[in-house]
Amino acid sequence: MDLEPTAEEAAFRAEVRAFLKREVTPEVWAAHRDLGEQGMWSPDFTKAFRRKLGAAGYIGMGWPAQYGGGGRSRIFQAIFWDEMEYFRAPGLDRSITYVPNALMAFGTEQQKAMLLPRIIKGELSWFVGYSEAEAGSDLANMKTRAVADGDDFVITGQKMFSSDAHMADYGWVAARTDPSGPKHKGISLFIVDMRSPGVKITKYPTLAGWTHHAVYFDQVRVPRSMLVGTQDEGWKVVMGAIDFERAALSSPGLVGYQFDRLLAWCSKDRDGADRPIDDPLVQDELARLAIEAEGARLMSYWLASLHARGLMPQHETSLALLVKREVSRRMDISGLDLLGPHAPLRAGSPHAQLDGEVEVEYRDHLYFQFAAGGFDITRNVVAQRGLGLPR
Amino acid sequence: MDITLNEDQALIAETAKSFAQSALTPARIRELEETENGFDAGVWREMAQMGWAGAPFPDAFGGSGFGLFELSLIVEALGQGAIPSPIYSSVVEGGMLLLEAGSEAQKKAWLPRIAAGEGLLTTAITEPAGGLAPGQIRTEIARAGNGFAINGTKLFVRDAGAAEAMICLGRSGLRPEDLTLLLVPGDAPGVARRRLKAAGGEALWEVTFSNVRLGADALVGEAGGAWPHVAQLLLRGAAMKSAELVGIGQASLDLTLSYAKTRVQFARPIGSFQGVQHHMANVYRDLWLCRLLAWQANARLASGKPAGREVAMAKAKAGECMPALTRIAHQVHGAIAYYRDYPLELYYHRAIAAQSAYGDAGHHRRALARLLREDLGRFRGEDPHELPVHHV
Repeated sequence: MDLEPTAEEAAFRAEVRAFLKREVTPEVWAAHRDLGEQGMWSPDFTKAFRRKLGAAGYIGMGWPAQYGGGGRSRIFQAIFWDEMEYFRAPGLDRSITYVPNALMAFGTEQQKAMLLPRIIKGELSWFVGYSEAEAGSDLANMKTRAVADGDDFVITGQKMFSSDAHMADYGWVAARTDPSGPKHKGISLFIVDMRSPGVKITKYPTLAGWTHHAVYFDQVRVPRSMLVGTQDEGWKVVMGAIDFERAALSSPGLVGYQFDRLLAWCSKDRDGADRPIDDPLVQDELARLAIEAEGARLMSYWLASLHARGLMPQHETSLALLVKREVSRRMDISGLDLLGPHAPLRAGSPHAQLDGEVEVEYRDHLYFQFAAGGFDITRNVVAQRGLGLPR
Repeated sequence: MDITLNEDQALIAETAKSFAQSALTPARIRELEETENGFDAGVWREMAQMGWAGAPFPDAFGGSGFGLFELSLIVEALGQGAIPSPIYSSVVEGGMLLLEAGSEAQKKAWLPRIAAGEGLLTTAITEPAGGLAPGQIRTEIARAGNGFAINGTKLFVRDAGAAEAMICLGRSGLRPEDLTLLLVPGDAPGVARRRLKAAGGEALWEVTFSNVRLGADALVGEAGGAWPHVAQLLLRGAAMKSAELVGIGQASLDLTLSYAKTRVQFARPIGSFQGVQHHMANVYRDLWLCRLLAWQANARLASGKPAGREVAMAKAKAGECMPALTRIAHQVHGAIAYYRDYPLELYYHRAIAAQSAYGDAGHHRRALARLLREDLGRFRGEDPHELPVHHV
């Protein structure tokens, strides 16, 4: 038990903070956010920023040396994720978390040689094609087909809720290769070049104001060499790296940022008016939020500690993600409460507080309650896999 | 950074847990609740033999050199087993207070005997007004001859019936923190006790001091210099109660899980219902959050660094969540656990007793609010970012 960072860990955190302060300035913030299309940062800025992460060595910092990685422990990776989230920096998504880890675990040598050197430099953006209209929480119910045809597979179907598909170079796509068996069998995983003929992307505006995507595959030919893992056993690939993705998503940086932003706002001197922080009820709420944020922080680093020790936490990862997202929602809700009459003022409105961010996030973070394992699905996972309750 | 138990710590936790699970039957624990001293002297001797009564004392005073963090693991296990013992009165309070504030002679006289489970020492801090602020201490300590005289009433004194002596906090001046500690033999003329009937497994007492005369050597620490030591004692108690609450929560969860897996209604184990599963997932989440916060609080205290923030967070969270956990545990059990012979009731009582000890959740959130106003840096943690003022 040692809650203090080592000198090396503290120095690394300082280095990442200095990098982010240099790269995500208020001017950059003002110039490159695209609340319409992207919700946050413009696609071009995200791609350029990801290359900077690659050049700084952050993408491959935890990869094994054989793939050009730095072999840093999960504590260092958790520090990196934490600071990235705190600074609301772009590029920390499946393209550098889930996909390379799944590729290292399940990919062929040819796939790794082709893709990992580009991923580690931050050159590639990915979308993950799992969810479908009829396959959400019940993911194995997917209907998209992949039919073997000579040296190719031919994929036909539709993927929904496909974050960042519009800026993806590749898709990491699950499709059914054997429709005859039980639904967890007969799924295979493919790497799909998004420039392939037959790939079509459509847009859906979300209630948060940004745009989400669906991807249609119409007889899209994918070479057999782009099959990941064993044919019909793609479910293993789907589940195999999901804990890494959840660990990255459970980073506490966002809730730290949300808390600090509220605290700064409540502490600000106001002409002739009492500061919110002088109100005992506000103090009590801030104390409660501080405790929640600290809990989320500890849980995330607990998880990193388990990984750093070589243990393989499973349901703990789901638990940490649930906690982080529940705490974030708590910050959204308390934030609106604390802003009082200004709460509904949207970004860009006269008199909007905190750039209207609290109201935007109140809408945006609604997806926390259903994406990558919804709150209640996660409770089922924890109860069944963690606590051994019967199905 | 490593937020896991190392091998030694895991071994201590395991040992403590297996001892606490088998030391006393639930029936014996209930029986002890009705006795004057509230604990089993034989069990306490065994605990002392394992080094637990001297856990945080140095070798020179008969200690086992485990440290405060390791003590918190033991306290969690005792909470989980609902084992009553004088570990709070004699170790967390009296022993540690002497270790920090006492003279060499006092430490020599007491600590080895406490560690051996022979001497039992407690403290008398809180008063009928109930508050934990220094200004609320009214018991008077006056100079009398070469020594002192005490007059006043103390409440929630742990194990006052069994203790050989108690360290009493009293007012020796007009300013709020003009407070002094005196070591009072339990049989000193003018000391009177009444056992309180309280929920939970601790033997709590009211102790009245009527012109109790003591020599100059009764002084613990410096006259007028008591408060920093008492404040630290209260933090230590709160951190340990946070760990105990986690043990209480773990026991309640374990009982409930095994019931939910085996109790069949509507032809299915009730643990297969989502309504039950969601309850269990939520309490498991809260249990781990409380455990991590308690680990942090106790590790921080053990390091000797300022721990007010970490302890307040741990106790505020555990004080709210763990009693709530026991209520959910009862809800899942239904009627069966409403009967006294079902062990869940032990934890139902202990949770509310532990949440009220050394400051309830509100007390600790107020402490955080004080940091918010007076020491924003500490409120925001050890390694805060600059506030993102460009948005404000």
